[in-house]
This record gives sequence, structure tokens and C-alpha cells, in this order.
Amino acid sequence: MSEITRDQLMAYADGQLPEPEHAAMEAFLAANPDAAADVALHQRQSDAIRTLFGPVGAEAVPARLKPRRLAAEMARRRTRNWGWVAAAVVLVGLGLGAGWIARPLFDARPASQLLIADAVNAHAVYVAENRHAVEVGSDDSEHLSGWLSNRLDTRLRMPDLATEGFTLVGGRLLPGEPHAGGRAAQLMYENATSDRVTIYVTAALPDRAPGYEFASYDGAEVFYWANARITCTVVGTLPEEQMKTVASSIYRQLTEGDVNAGRPYRG
Amino acid sequence: MNDFLDQLETCVPALRRYARALTRNADLADDLVQDCLERAISRRGLFRPTGAVRAWLFTILLNLHRNALRASHRRGETVDIDMVPELSTPAAQPGHIALAELARAIDTLPPEQKEALLLVTLEGIPYAEAAGIIGIPLGTLMSRLGRARAALRTLTGHPAEPHLRTVK
Repeated sequence: MSEITRDQLMAYADGQLPEPEHAAMEAFLAANPDAAADVALHQRQSDAIRTLFGPVGAEAVPARLKPRRLAAEMARRRTRNWGWVAAAVVLVGLGLGAGWIARPLFDARPASQLLIADAVNAHAVYVAENRHAVEVGSDDSEHLSGWLSNRLDTRLRMPDLATEGFTLVGGRLLPGEPHAGGRAAQLMYENATSDRVTIYVTAALPDRAPGYEFASYDGAEVFYWANARITCTVVGTLPEEQMKTVASSIYRQLTEGDVNAGRPYRG
Repeated sequence: MNDFLDQLETCVPALRRYARALTRNADLADDLVQDCLERAISRRGLFRPTGAVRAWLFTILLNLHRNALRASHRRGETVDIDMVPELSTPAAQPGHIALAELARAIDTLPPEQKEALLLVTLEGIPYAEAAGIIGIPLGTLMSRLGRARAALRTLTGHPAEPHLRTVK
């Protein structure tokens, strides 16, 4: 070994110099007292550091630092956590199961019921209005017809109920059931004694299946029908017989023509 | 698994010793060791059997210590005065380094010099392993050790003294 580096000196002091280099190092130190002094000081520093802090390593280890105990505690904590997870899974499972079993109860309410309820609500709200009973008045019935037809994506003419003693007040557009196009048209008629009848029309339901229903609903008489083009709900608080007369007149006028052939209603 | 816990157990005294020397506070040191062990137990799956458990544990401990240092940065350091023992054993020796003086000197070292110096001198960990634990190249470790020792030498006022030959 021709040259001894500082790192080698330190390694020797730390007892980390490889064995084969020891002889050369010792010869070097013997010839260089300063270097030997350095090494000795290094070693004294190390000794002092070990004297300072070494005793801690001989102390009894506190119980909380025993790996077995720590592992057991951690396992217990994990089990508790898994317990909660398991409980949550069971609860969610029960909820899903109950929901699935109870599904027919929620599905049992047919679309017609929703449409009738909407129609009755709209009737109750707007027949009570005087100045704002309708959005578009009957004096512009051509516009009303075209506007509502466009919005409902179907041809809608205003039924004429003069024979039954009713005149058209006007109509409005309403938000409707999403599965029936999301829009509904309400037409309002009034007779000489200010009795009002409303007609609630939406686009056809997705199944386009025909359906008919008479019902009493919150004190109102209701006649509902559906076909391949529209759904229509007639709502009024007239006596049942009079309601049937009005409703059948509306039905005749709105279903005139071959519905399935796709020709427009005359109205 | 039990084998693994046994391996941990044999390392606990050394971890405590190193943690105590780093923090100079018995409670902080043991908290550090407990955190280190818990982390090791929860991550035993990540342990590579090719590496030494000891080096892995010291790496975890050192990272936790550095994080704690960062968190308490500028919060002020507390030095437990009881931590500096009045040891009499080496005192009789000529040329011994005053221990209290040395303890104070170590405290003034930059953290990265302190952690390297203590790994090598106190724990007797081989240079290569120490460099791995700290996460630096071997050359960097050597230069940190050199600087740490030179600083201690200056701080403890022992540039040279007689009886060098008598000290092994």
C-alpha cells in the first residue's frame, strides 16, 4: 500500500478496514505519529460515545416495546376494525336484500297512477287561479294548439266542448313524468257556472299500450286513457254523470282517426 | 412470523440506544421505537428477506425521527440534562474526553452528521450498511463521518494531547 487515505485511517479506527490492509496500515502508523494520534483520537471519541449512550442498550426493555405484545395488540385492533367492516357489509346486504324483496311493492304503482296524480295536482292548483289560470288564452287557440303540439311532439287540437256547455279558457305547459316525455299540456275549460274541467295531456308512455281508467281522486272525478300517441287525463269536480259525458266527448275528439296508423288527430 | 418477531426483539435494545442518543429524551426515544416496531409489524409483508432486518428497522426509525424533527422544527429542542451521565469509569484514564462536553458537542452537530456518526460509532454498523440506512452513497457517508469527527475534536478542545499511545 503506497498511500493511506483519510477514509482508510477512519476505517481502521472504526475497525472496518479489511484485514489484508492491516499490516500496511500498522506500518504506516508506526512511521507517522500524527496519523496514529488521529486514529487514537477517533477511537477515544467512539469509546466516549459508547460510554455515553451504550448503557441504554443494557436497560430492561419496557413492556410496550415487546414485539409480540405489539403484534397482538395490532391484531386485536385489526380484528375490531374488521368487525365493523363485517357489520357494515351485513347491514348493507340486509338493506339490499330487503329492497330487492320489497321491489314489487314499489314497482306496483303504474305509470297511470303517477299521471293521474299529476293531473289532479295541476287541476287543483290552476282551477283556483283567476288571472293566471292559463298561460295562453283561448283567443289564440291556433297558437296554443301549435305550441303545445310542438312541445309534446304530437298533434294536439283543442277539443270542442260547446255541446257540453264548456268553453276553452286556455292552456299551459307543465313539467311532467320523465317516462312520458317530461312535459305535459294542461287545457282548461269553464262552463256558465264557473265549473272548471282540465285535460292533462302527455306524449305516449314508452310501452305505448292502451289503457283506461275511471277514478275518484281527492274529491275529483278522473277519466284517464292512454294510447300509442298520447296519455290524457280529464279532471273535474262535476257530478259523476256529467263528468262522464264531458270525458267521453273529449275522448271521441282526441282519438278520432286511426291511432295505430299514425295519422294525426283531428281534434 | 414468530421468527420475524424474534428478530425484531433482538433489535429493540439497539434501536432504543440509537433513538435515545438521537433524541436525548427517554420518552421520545421509546415512542420512536414503538412507532418503528408497529410500522415494521404492519409492513412485514414488504420486508425483503434478502436484506437484514436490523438495517430495515434502523431505516424506519431514522425516517420517523426525521419526520418528527421536521414537525418540531423551530419549536425548540429540549435536552434532558439527566441524559448526560456522570460516569466515572473512564474518568480515571488519562486523555479521556469529558463526557458532558462531548454530549453537548454531539448535540451541536447537524442532524445528518449526528445520525451517521452514531450509527457507526455507537451501533458499530458497517459503513455500507449505514450508508444504505441513511440513504446516501458510501462516499457521502465517509465525508459526513469525517466532518462530524473533526467538529467534535474542535468542540471538545482535544486537537492533540499526550498519552495518545496509551489509548487503544
